[in-house]
Amino acid sequence: MAEAWWAVARSEEVTSAKPINVDIGDQPIVLWRDQQGAVHALEDRCPHRRTPLSLGCVLGNGMIQCGYHGWTYDGATGHLKDIPNLKSDVKFPALYRAIPFAVAESGGFVRVCLDAKAPAPLLVAKTLPLSGTVNVALEHEHYIAALFDDPSLVLAIKGVRFTPYLLAELAEHEGKLVLERSCQWAGFHWPSPFSSDFPITLRIATDPVTGECDLLLRDDGFRPLLFATLAPVPAARGVTQIRWRATLEDNRHGMRAKLLGAGTPFSVHSTIDGAALRVLKPSASIHAATLRNEITARSAQTSAA
Amino acid sequence: MLDVKDAAITDDYIDPVTADPREFAAKVNAWVPHDIVLKDAWFPLAHSFAITEKPVRRAIYSQPYFLWREGKTAVAAEFHPSEGLQGGKSEFTDAAGRYPVIEKYGYAWCWFGNPANAAPEHIPSLPYLPEDGGLPLHMLGTVRFDCTAPLSLENLIDLTHADFLHADVVGDEKMDKETVEVFHDSETITMVRTCVNKSVAPIMRRFGGVKVDVQQVRQVIRIYLRSHAAIAYGRFSPGDNVQLFHPCVPETRDRTRLDYAINTRNVKKTNLFRYLMPKASYKVSRQDSYMTSPQSPRYMQPEKRKDLHSPLDEAGQKYRVLMLALAERQARGDFAYHVNVSADCSEIIGYDGK
Repeated sequence: MAEAWWAVARSEEVTSAKPINVDIGDQPIVLWRDQQGAVHALEDRCPHRRTPLSLGCVLGNGMIQCGYHGWTYDGATGHLKDIPNLKSDVKFPALYRAIPFAVAESGGFVRVCLDAKAPAPLLVAKTLPLSGTVNVALEHEHYIAALFDDPSLVLAIKGVRFTPYLLAELAEHEGKLVLERSCQWAGFHWPSPFSSDFPITLRIATDPVTGECDLLLRDDGFRPLLFATLAPVPAARGVTQIRWRATLEDNRHGMRAKLLGAGTPFSVHSTIDGAALRVLKPSASIHAATLRNEITARSAQTSAA
Repeated sequence: MLDVKDAAITDDYIDPVTADPREFAAKVNAWVPHDIVLKDAWFPLAHSFAITEKPVRRAIYSQPYFLWREGKTAVAAEFHPSEGLQGGKSEFTDAAGRYPVIEKYGYAWCWFGNPANAAPEHIPSLPYLPEDGGLPLHMLGTVRFDCTAPLSLENLIDLTHADFLHADVVGDEKMDKETVEVFHDSETITMVRTCVNKSVAPIMRRFGGVKVDVQQVRQVIRIYLRSHAAIAYGRFSPGDNVQLFHPCVPETRDRTRLDYAINTRNVKKTNLFRYLMPKASYKVSRQDSYMTSPQSPRYMQPEKRKDLHSPLDEAGQKYRVLMLALAERQARGDFAYHVNVSADCSEIIGYDGK
């Protein structure tokens, strides 16, 4: 978890007007944007009296000020820069600082790595226009497993019904966990267990550590219809925070594909149906943990070499 | 995704069923069908009628197969024609990214394994299907099982399940006597179940014109292990014979596709049974999936706890051991066929052409 880059916010959620609080697991983080537009991430805890820095404010110089006693921190280093009531220019020892985290922003996501010295992640050039954030009361690992075994429990694509049938089960492909599920257009049709072929598929390519997924919906001519990125992040109390972005392909063939553009084409559920989840049989997800371990072990070996 | 090694022909085949009883029992209980991926086999990936100029996508163990016709010839490729040949071509296809394909019995059979080993004689014998196809569409269909393919076949070869799960279609367990015989070789297993005075199958009573209370039944299940394809042949007296081809294509390790054929040409054209029996698959397959779907995840990982068995499980036990033996042999690099699976099996299944 320490070296992973987590998409903890959508770009538009982070402003210089008010800091926000996010989590990576049990680590609370405060995020804000300075006047130059750069995003900063510190532990969301003032080292003075442990109050959340996110309850404070962003100063005109881009620093964050605790709302309790006004202690003021530099976003890049976390160093304490000012205690307003001291009325002095005293320099503070290096120990006086909040823990800083590495930040990267691209593709409409703000990503944070708990290791401040981590190498920067690959930049994502395109920002998908549709977006949202939901908090789901389900642990990260179970959330990903639900996505693998039955996407309808966690998301909806307008007019699309997910079938229980895969064209490719979960396997490693270029360092990601990839599967491809057969889908039908919603409405009256021959039931999926008796269908010979399906008109659309959903490919899900998942980062083995963060669970960040690239979703690709395409038709049976292999033409893309919709792209989405789903970024689930483990948060406090077993909640998973999900930020997502999506876009429709402009050139879609067929009436049903064209209708994707009417209304809301993509959404992520903020609640999960516990009754359905409880009886959901593990299928695509069942080897996910093994695959994850294999990928991360190989990655660790490569890094060591 | 999968490695293909060259076939190493060996003549020192040891029958795993008769070799050592303790080893046999150990293998029966070491059954993790999810881990079995057999190669160098023909799979009936599509009914011939389903293959047109527009590519259809199928899969064997997630390996992609795109099938379409070039003129009258069926072709199968690893990549969609709009994609062209991708850099990551597997060892399952030739330089052009194409798989070996043969059309026979009304199916496009695609080879899964080393293309150099694809030979027509490895296509299973299906005596009651016309070699050149041509069965009417109402005798053909597609159903799916939400489970791993070997569990579908283990379910099939133990027909005592039918008396309970499919009693409303094929009749219940009431009968005077039941015997089960099992025959096998390295590539096939055949189970013959003979029932004396069995309660009449409801579908035959309602639609097949069978008016008596009991039937004499002889049911044969013959599984071609590598192809995961089964013959299910039933002789009913009084009543019409049932001639089902039941191929279980493992699209993934946990999902099975079944493009079935039930040849009811032996049934009079005026008899509703001729038209309704093929449709019974829709009901029967859901009944099977109702049990095998929750069963499947429980066979994905090795378990210390052993399954319990009865004498009626002989066929299922041998099926497990034969499948494991094939998998072990392939793991050693031996992909050779020791028997000719395309040799006419009419006599073995008791099919007399009627």
